[in-house]
Amino acid sequence: MIAFGCAISEPEAYRLYAEPGIRRAKEPDSEVYAFSAVGTIFRSYNLLLDTAAQLEDLEALVLVHPHAQITDPAFCAKVREALTDPDVAVVGAAGARGVRSIAWWEGEVVASDILHRYNDHGGGQLRALSWAGDALPPPAEVEVVDGFLMILSPWAVRNVRFDEALGLGHGYDVDYCLQVRAAGRKVMVADLGLTHHRSLELIADLDLWVEAHIRVAEKWEEQLYGPVGDNGTTWEQRGRQAEAEREAERAIAYGHALHRDARVLLLQRALNAVTSTRSWWLTEPLRRLNKARADRREASPR
Amino acid sequence: MIAFGSAITKPDVYRVCAEPGIQRAAEPDSVVLPSESIGSLQASYNALIDRAAELDGLEALVLVHQDAEIVDDDFCEKVRKVLADPDVGVVGCVGAVGVRSIAWWEGSVTLASFIHRYGEHGGGDLPAFSWKWDQAPPYARLGQVDTLDGFLLVLSPWAVQNVRFDESLGQLHGYDLDFCLQVRAAGKKVVTADFRAIHNHSLTLVNDPDGWIEAHIKVATKWEGKVAGVGAGAGTWKQRALRADAEREAAKVVGYSNALESDARVAELERALEEARGSISWRATSPLRGFNKTRRAAGRRVRGSSTGAPLNGAGPR
Repeated sequence: MIAFGCAISEPEAYRLYAEPGIRRAKEPDSEVYAFSAVGTIFRSYNLLLDTAAQLEDLEALVLVHPHAQITDPAFCAKVREALTDPDVAVVGAAGARGVRSIAWWEGEVVASDILHRYNDHGGGQLRALSWAGDALPPPAEVEVVDGFLMILSPWAVRNVRFDEALGLGHGYDVDYCLQVRAAGRKVMVADLGLTHHRSLELIADLDLWVEAHIRVAEKWEEQLYGPVGDNGTTWEQRGRQAEAEREAERAIAYGHALHRDARVLLLQRALNAVTSTRSWWLTEPLRRLNKARADRREASPR
Repeated sequence: MIAFGSAITKPDVYRVCAEPGIQRAAEPDSVVLPSESIGSLQASYNALIDRAAELDGLEALVLVHQDAEIVDDDFCEKVRKVLADPDVGVVGCVGAVGVRSIAWWEGSVTLASFIHRYGEHGGGDLPAFSWKWDQAPPYARLGQVDTLDGFLLVLSPWAVQNVRFDESLGQLHGYDLDFCLQVRAAGKKVVTADFRAIHNHSLTLVNDPDGWIEAHIKVATKWEGKVAGVGAGAGTWKQRALRADAEREAAKVVGYSNALESDARVAELERALEEARGSISWRATSPLRGFNKTRRAAGRRVRGSSTGAPLNGAGPR
């Protein structure tokens, strides 16, 4: 039996996105654990794992973020296929190899065709992770999967827990996958249909994210960095390099922001040139009338 | 006598930007030392300083980037006023305090009296915060700083005789901070003054990240422990490395978010523009706009003049 779990931090998001997806994907015997979030996501997910671990006939536990919507009609069949290999412990819809930190997307990304839907600026959609460059297609073994959708094998559910000591809301997925791999099991990306409903702001609480980055790096230092001294590098050299790269990234980001602002300004000027003309003002009543007519047509029964 | 120097790699840019500014600012007895660039900017500047050092009666050497235009008619007067203090070694119109690295703008910027004029996306001007004093924020002030932006530097005769740009730092980056640190290490002052310039510059702020990173490390290594704050950071080197790694990744994420945000805003504006231009009313009134445009063009011909010229001459667009 395939169980679904969600730690509900935003009930409205769950109702709009995760719940319809779970309803579409689940089978008649599936258990659905929709629990209110308790403490950090680490603790909430451990509660879901503890509950699912009681199920004797558990085939997989699917951890769904409230903003994730499963859109794949063959979801359960694909989950079973991905878990055919008994060594596979975690499956996701997106992940990466060559991961060096909780910014896993800086590695070699493998991703299903996931949609990113947003409401900002009139709304729209784009290919998820498009900002991280070209992604390789699944299926593929990876080091880490995106925590937005994590499918855990019965072995993982019974043997591995999210590290509540890290507890800052970020990096739970990276840490969990690293634990699984340290235990000799595999992490995979499978071809799963998913829509990600989220803002265009990728990380809202950057300071917390930075702290989480540090904690996970400290915990997995040798796995993520390689031991200091191996190739003649010292912490001082690493520190100087990282500080220089940080400032360079910031300066590059400022430059990119200037480019984008200039592009927006150019379009705003063009739009203003249209909407500030006398003919535009004169024909304003006509446009209002047309809009009212269109609204009426829209509202009338067909 | 106040001398002017510029290291020229693009003569057409020099002609359009630096030269008009020098002509505006120079006095009848000023010596202008335009020089073909030799190797790095530091090497070119050092060659200019060597030439200036031989000039009799030198009051100051003004080093101006080829893409920067001085816009003050009374520039020399302002230079003399600030150099009246014999302890002043170098002067600029953009500076900061609390500087820890060649990314001096991450310090507390005290003065930024310039316009960043860009050519991309149809061109435009970005006036910095103290371009106009009446609109400047409360933290804008003249006086001593840790470092200056190198696009316009005024060197005192003492600096010309005693300080040189460090040619071991690379081709282009960090030379300004290093020069200012040398001046301060010698007990002289680095100060901002009330003159202004236009910097005609791409919107891309770092176009060779590897060279920039190398210069960052070299300057930090050279000055750490010698000047308070420079190259410094909290914690052990391990802690600093882990934090800098995290903050570097955070900077990238901010960049990604901003790009997505901006693309969405562009898409929104493009939709609005398309909708406006596709509306019946806009299409129906097209002849009227055509008529108005023709009428305005005819009016300009009759008056025999164009509309106002851009401030202080156009930069490369």
